[in-house]
Amino acid sequence: MNIQEYISGGIVESYVLGLASKEEMAEFEQLCSQYPDLVKIRNDFEIALENRMFSLAVTPAAEVKEKVMTTIRQQSNFNQTKIITMEKSTTSSSSPLRWIAAAAVILLLVSGYFAYNFYSKNKDLKSELAKSDDDKKQMDDRLKKLEMVSDPNVAVVSLKGTEKAPKSSANIYWDSTSSNVYLVVKNMPKLPSEKQYQLWAIINGQDGALQPTSLGLFDVGDDGKILLKMDTGAKKADAFAITIESRGNTGGPTLSELQAMGKPVL
Amino acid sequence: MNSKTKYSEEELVALLQERNEQAFSYLYDNYSGSLYGIVNSIVPNKETANDVLQNVFINIWRKIESYDSSKGRLFTWMLNIARNAAIDEVRSKGYNDSQKNQSLNENVDIPGAVTGPTVGDVGLKKVLMNLKEEMRVLVDMSYFQGFTHEEISKALNIPLGTVKTRIRSALIQLRTLIQ
Repeated sequence: MNIQEYISGGIVESYVLGLASKEEMAEFEQLCSQYPDLVKIRNDFEIALENRMFSLAVTPAAEVKEKVMTTIRQQSNFNQTKIITMEKSTTSSSSPLRWIAAAAVILLLVSGYFAYNFYSKNKDLKSELAKSDDDKKQMDDRLKKLEMVSDPNVAVVSLKGTEKAPKSSANIYWDSTSSNVYLVVKNMPKLPSEKQYQLWAIINGQDGALQPTSLGLFDVGDDGKILLKMDTGAKKADAFAITIESRGNTGGPTLSELQAMGKPVL
Repeated sequence: MNSKTKYSEEELVALLQERNEQAFSYLYDNYSGSLYGIVNSIVPNKETANDVLQNVFINIWRKIESYDSSKGRLFTWMLNIARNAAIDEVRSKGYNDSQKNQSLNENVDIPGAVTGPTVGDVGLKKVLMNLKEEMRVLVDMSYFQGFTHEEISKALNIPLGTVKTRIRSALIQLRTLIQ
C-alpha cells in the first residue's frame, strides 16, 4: 500500500473527526499499528485540532460544573450504598454471595468510607444479585469449554469487578490438590507504572477475621488481558480478590482499591 | 485542590480511570470551554447546549475506562463524544419541537440556508467559513449535522462518490486552516 497516497486521501482528518466509516476506521487502526509515521501524522493533526479548539473555546454556564460534580459524587455514593445493602439482604439466607457481601461490608467499613443509609436499596440489590448470578452462570458455561477446567481437581473462580471497576473481570483456575493457581485476566485497565495489581487468597479465620494471603503482584498490558501462574500455597481459600497496590507492595491489601472479587464454587 | 496542578495526558487518564475526582475537576476546567465550543456550534441554544455539555462530562466519567490511547488522544475521544451528543440532541424530537423555526429537516432541502454566516457560528464553525461554498455545505452537513454520505447524496442530488471525494478534500483544506 502506498501510505503517502493513502494519507493524502484525507483519511487522517476523516478518522480523527469521527467521519470515517467503520471499515475505514478498522483499516486505519490496523495501518497505524504497522506505520509509526501514520500515528505521528494523526497525532500532529489531533494536537493542531485540540489547540485550535482551545483557542476557540466558549465558556459554559458556571453551574454546569457544579451539576456535573454533584452527579458523579451521587453516583459514587449510590454505588457504595448498593455494596453495603448486600450484607443486609443476604445475611439471613445461605446465598453463595453471602461471604462476598459480608467481606465487602467489613472491608469497606474498615476503610472508613461508608456511613451511608444501608436500608433503602434492597430492591436494586436483588435485581443486581440476580443479574450477577446470571452473568456468572454464563461465564462458567463458557469456561467449561476450556481444557483446564476438564480437570476435576481444578476449581474455577470468577472474579467480578467491584463498583469501583465494574468492567474488570478475571478468572482463577485453582488446583486445590497441588495448590497451583492460574490467573486469567480478561479485562482490567493498564495501570500507571508505579502501580501493580495484586491477587489475594482470603481465608475466613475462626474468629471471623479475614486473613489475606498474597498470591503475587502482576501487570496488565494494553489489551487488558493476561494469563499468569501465580504463587502457590493456597491450600484453602474462601475467596480471591484483586487490589491495586504500589509497585512491589509487601504490606497487606489496600481495601479501598478492591477491583474484583470472587468465591470458589465448591 | 491546587488549581495549578498539571497532569500529563497519561497521568490524567490513569487518574480518571481510577475515578479520581480531582483529576476530573481538572479535566473539566481544562476542556469544558473547547467542548462547549463544539456543542454550541451544533446546538445554538445556549441553555440546551449547557445541558448537553453536562451530559457529555457525565458520560466521559462513566465511559473513561473504554478510552483507548492507542486509537487517539483523550481530547479527540472527548470531542467525538461531545459532537455525537450534540447531534443526538438536535435530532431528538424534543429539540425539534422546541426549535420549530429552525427545523433541521427543512434545512436538508435548502442547503444554502444552513451555510450562510449566522450569529450562532462559533468555534470550529468559524473556521468552516473559510471553505469554498460547495465544500462548506458538505462539511456542515456531515460534521455538524451528522448526516451520512448517502443522506447528503440524496438531499443534494450529488452522486455518492462525489460526496465522498469532496468531503475528504474539504477536510484536507480544513486541516490547513486549523494549523
